[in-house]
Amino acid sequence: MPTIEREDLRKEVLAVAKELGSNRSSLIPLLQAVQARYGYVSEHAMQDIADAIGISPVEVQSVATFYHLINTEPTGRFVIRVSSCTPCMMAGAERIMHQFENELGIEVGETTTDGVFTVEWTSCIGMCDQGPAVLVNDSVYTFVTPEKVYAIITECRKAFSGLGAKANGLIPNKRNSGPILEGVSAPNAALKKALGMKRVDVIAELRDSNLRGRGGAGFPTSLKWQLAAAASDPVKFVVCNADEGEPGTFKDRLLLTEYIDTLLEGMTIGGYAIGANTGVIYLRAEYTFMKAAIEAAIEKRHTEKLLGEKILGKDFNFDIHLHMGAGAYVCGEETALIESLEGKRGEPRNRPPFPVDTGLNGHPTIVNNVETFIDAALIVDRGAAWWKQYGTEKSSGTKLFSVSGDCDKPGIYEFAWGLTVNDLLKQVGGEGAKAVQIGGASGTCVPAKDFGRKICFEDVPTGGSIMVFDHDRDMLEIAENFLEFFVEESCGKCVPCRKGCPTLLRGVEELLDGKGSVAYLNKLKSLAETMQCSCVCGLGQSAPNAFLSIIANFSDEVLGR
Amino acid sequence: MAENITAGIGGQISINIDGRDLKVPFNMTILEAARANGIRIPTLCYHEDLCVSGSCRLCVVEIEGQRNLQASCAYPITQSIKVKTTSPRVRRARKNIIELLLGEHFGDCYTCKRNKNCELQSLAAEYGVTEYTFGKEEGPFFEILGDGPVVRDMNKCVRCYRCVRTCQTLQEVSALGKINRGDETYIGSFMDLPLLEGLCVACGQCINRCPTGALTEHDQTDEVWAAIDDPTKHVVIQTAPAPRAGIAEAFGIPAGSAVTKKMNSAIKMMGFDKVFDTNFTADLTIMEEGTELLLRLKAALVDGNKDVKLPQITSCSPGWVKFAEQVSPKLLDHISSCKSPQQMFGAVIKTYYAELAGIDPKDIVSVSLMPCTAKKFECERPEMCDSGYQDVDYALTSRELAKMIKEAGIDLMACPDSEFDDPVGLGSGAGIIFGATGGVMEAAIRTAYEIVTGREIPFENLEVKPVRGMDGIRSAELPITGAVEAWKFLEGATLKVMVAHGLANARKVLEQLAAGELSDYHFIEIMCCPGGCLGGGGQPIPTNPAIRKARAEAIYQEDRIMPIRKSHKNPVIDKIYKEFLTEGPCGHKSHKLLHTHYKKRGTQIV
Repeated sequence: MPTIEREDLRKEVLAVAKELGSNRSSLIPLLQAVQARYGYVSEHAMQDIADAIGISPVEVQSVATFYHLINTEPTGRFVIRVSSCTPCMMAGAERIMHQFENELGIEVGETTTDGVFTVEWTSCIGMCDQGPAVLVNDSVYTFVTPEKVYAIITECRKAFSGLGAKANGLIPNKRNSGPILEGVSAPNAALKKALGMKRVDVIAELRDSNLRGRGGAGFPTSLKWQLAAAASDPVKFVVCNADEGEPGTFKDRLLLTEYIDTLLEGMTIGGYAIGANTGVIYLRAEYTFMKAAIEAAIEKRHTEKLLGEKILGKDFNFDIHLHMGAGAYVCGEETALIESLEGKRGEPRNRPPFPVDTGLNGHPTIVNNVETFIDAALIVDRGAAWWKQYGTEKSSGTKLFSVSGDCDKPGIYEFAWGLTVNDLLKQVGGEGAKAVQIGGASGTCVPAKDFGRKICFEDVPTGGSIMVFDHDRDMLEIAENFLEFFVEESCGKCVPCRKGCPTLLRGVEELLDGKGSVAYLNKLKSLAETMQCSCVCGLGQSAPNAFLSIIANFSDEVLGR
Repeated sequence: MAENITAGIGGQISINIDGRDLKVPFNMTILEAARANGIRIPTLCYHEDLCVSGSCRLCVVEIEGQRNLQASCAYPITQSIKVKTTSPRVRRARKNIIELLLGEHFGDCYTCKRNKNCELQSLAAEYGVTEYTFGKEEGPFFEILGDGPVVRDMNKCVRCYRCVRTCQTLQEVSALGKINRGDETYIGSFMDLPLLEGLCVACGQCINRCPTGALTEHDQTDEVWAAIDDPTKHVVIQTAPAPRAGIAEAFGIPAGSAVTKKMNSAIKMMGFDKVFDTNFTADLTIMEEGTELLLRLKAALVDGNKDVKLPQITSCSPGWVKFAEQVSPKLLDHISSCKSPQQMFGAVIKTYYAELAGIDPKDIVSVSLMPCTAKKFECERPEMCDSGYQDVDYALTSRELAKMIKEAGIDLMACPDSEFDDPVGLGSGAGIIFGATGGVMEAAIRTAYEIVTGREIPFENLEVKPVRGMDGIRSAELPITGAVEAWKFLEGATLKVMVAHGLANARKVLEQLAAGELSDYHFIEIMCCPGGCLGGGGQPIPTNPAIRKARAEAIYQEDRIMPIRKSHKNPVIDKIYKEFLTEGPCGHKSHKLLHTHYKKRGTQIV
């Protein structure tokens, strides 16, 4: 590199660092800013970032190479990423990829010789009801057909300087409405009410409501808030987990676009309840097209005194920042998310200590799902008793479901907890299905004989992902797709997940080749059970779930091939 | 439950492990509690010197009432829990994990340096692994990287990340990092550049903590054997103090046994022409570095020279020197210009000794036995050839010499005792203690105090206890009274000294120095490795605080039994200043042969 260019790069990186802050937590935003400017983060840029932050360059490379949407090698000006999640594959993503290869004359993973296009696979981008879906830089394309491929390429060629961040062809796909989607009684009614209550009473209301976390794990929200509220540290954080990345999950897409104000309201209530002054939304990189609108919504609340100092004239200060993810499903795990916010590799922490005690930068932190914050606002607004009229005893309220796969009406639904799989299939036009995957790649595969089972924490829990499979689907191929996802998304920290996922995948591939013996299958089962009980985090622990339920329920499909 | 409320930091908690009721300190991990009570839990990624990772999951245990197993190394006890360290689930999990690791570990045991000293091998044996249940990946996947003192064979890496934690957290060097994600993760240097081109200081601490043979030193035993076997070469070896306190461990002897004299015999049996004691040049270092310090003090206090830099910092440890060159290029003038004892000896052997022995220095092959991998880097520094030749040709680690002794068919422990060779074979106890953190400082104090006051140091049995021990950074003060005429300007002064070991501590000292917080200090000893040279990256594996403590005790014991315990009382030192370095310490010839300069490296690699 010529000295002059080298010096220019260094100056520019140091200038960006000055703007974004020269501390460790600015590392990922810095990498993203450099990539936005240069298309990738070169070794020289990594060196300069390291010097700006005061860490070693290998630590920068270590973080940069962890996140799939940060490139440390030159790529095309337009990086086309075709979603490889199960519903997109079922909708024909492979044909789309093939067409991109044909149009561009390159193979997956390659860059055109003119340096304009790179094409690659990516994990779920949250458009499962509208697949096949494609991400081109920060722009999303849904309902892509082989014919549209050409149009996308043409559009890119014309938009020489970039596409911006748009969602092309995206429809809300709201199929029905319940209490959540009908919204709060009046804008900010909940916040006004909360700020008139004692902090403990806000948490008590949530406790009475039995609200449980909507991300999938179902931890009681009030308990999380109460533990954080009880911590004596004057610095606390409210973090919204908007890193929705579970294959087949896209309900936050709707909430973040149409209900952002209620989300911000819910987070502010959370801040008030636990005594925090700072909130962070960790938004998955694939949703960059929402960034401007979310920032505008935050800004608007500032002007309306709903954020900032002395909110609604009360003695309460609270601010919310948006932090972009960089392409790592595991960052949906709360401790990995916190690590990522701190500018590190998104590797889950050992627990205890829990984030409510030792969270972001060592301070008490609540991390909640987008939907949980919205539900909390609704509960404060209308009361726990109103909420509990929906759902079951242990699963109160309603829940948003992201429905995709082989059904007539994929999209976003709101149902009270406790409906049976059969009920759900009727509503979504999926009667006659062979199996339903509940809870995404990390969830459970329910076969037709068990369609009487109820969807709720007492029976089959879910963060909202529902994938319907009809009788033509090869369940072993489904298991293969899920495991490919986990191999791609495992952080690599703990052995049972890092090695277990590829080992199970190899096992499934052998079974697909017709090489399965019962003895071999039993070894894989033993391994899968080890993963469930000994991995560091929920991702690893749940990675083998689908595999186990598929081999348990479809053994005649799995063996004897 | 009542106890949970009363228990807190500093309190005790009742727990039950495997049916045994125990009382343990609040926040102690399950693993620590088990080990403290003699209950064994297997580990791999855990290392006593390192921050907890909890990533291998081998140490998982059952906790009553919990659905999942928990990694005992990472689980702090804050409540009364009931733990089972073995159960069908635990046993299966451990075996499955070991089998997964064996499946990715490529390389066979017979050709591995760590054969019979490999944690993975031991675990496989312990868990009775007889087949590769989940298949065996066929490698090699990585090229073996032997581009410096640290050799990396990532085919054998099982990604416990002990080396990364050593490099990033224990030493705060950060030459190694995790690259990529998931199963693609590997341990690499920045942009896969040769380690020494980056921030690596060749301390070798990563090697000491690698559970397998993935990290080893650059083996130079073949070259040394070839020199020994070449009748035209005169092969001499100098042996540093720390290896003699550690090498027996490579022969299955518990840590803490010094085998100096047996080692001398073994070395001669192997065919080395002469065996010298690096303690001799440790003594020479004290003379030179002590004089340098006194000259700096005089310049600062008497002449009012504002350019003279105080405190003076030691320069014996080449890993520390490269670290300082990278981290604090502006502070290099604080570092003594003295070469390390190894390099002083190198220069002396090919000049003074060659002259005395009547041998052409070109025919001398100068070998050193060091506890250190950075010494391999040091002897290849381009400025280290003041004798007109490369001053030291090969720096062998304790492990390499142990290997050569075994190869020669010698039973070290059965060897008779023998002394070092003349004419430069005599060292003092002050030289020996260079092997432990604080040793250089103690040796310097023994001599400097006596030169300045004409009296022995006011410490019982010459043991300067305040600078001993294993605390990361230690300070001491020594008031000077009754100074002799030449050093009257020091009368009433209080000598302030500091000792640091391990580069994370060295970094702290450099930060304080840069902030001007150490301006009232006079002399600082810094050693690269935890524990000083006895914990060096070339010492037998494994290492841990107990082993290092035992080695330190062995070193102090050697000092105690030495007839001469002060550098300036070593008659050979007297002789060399009379016959060869006739201008005395820090004279012109000393400067040419025994002093050096440093390179402002900085941290920019590309």
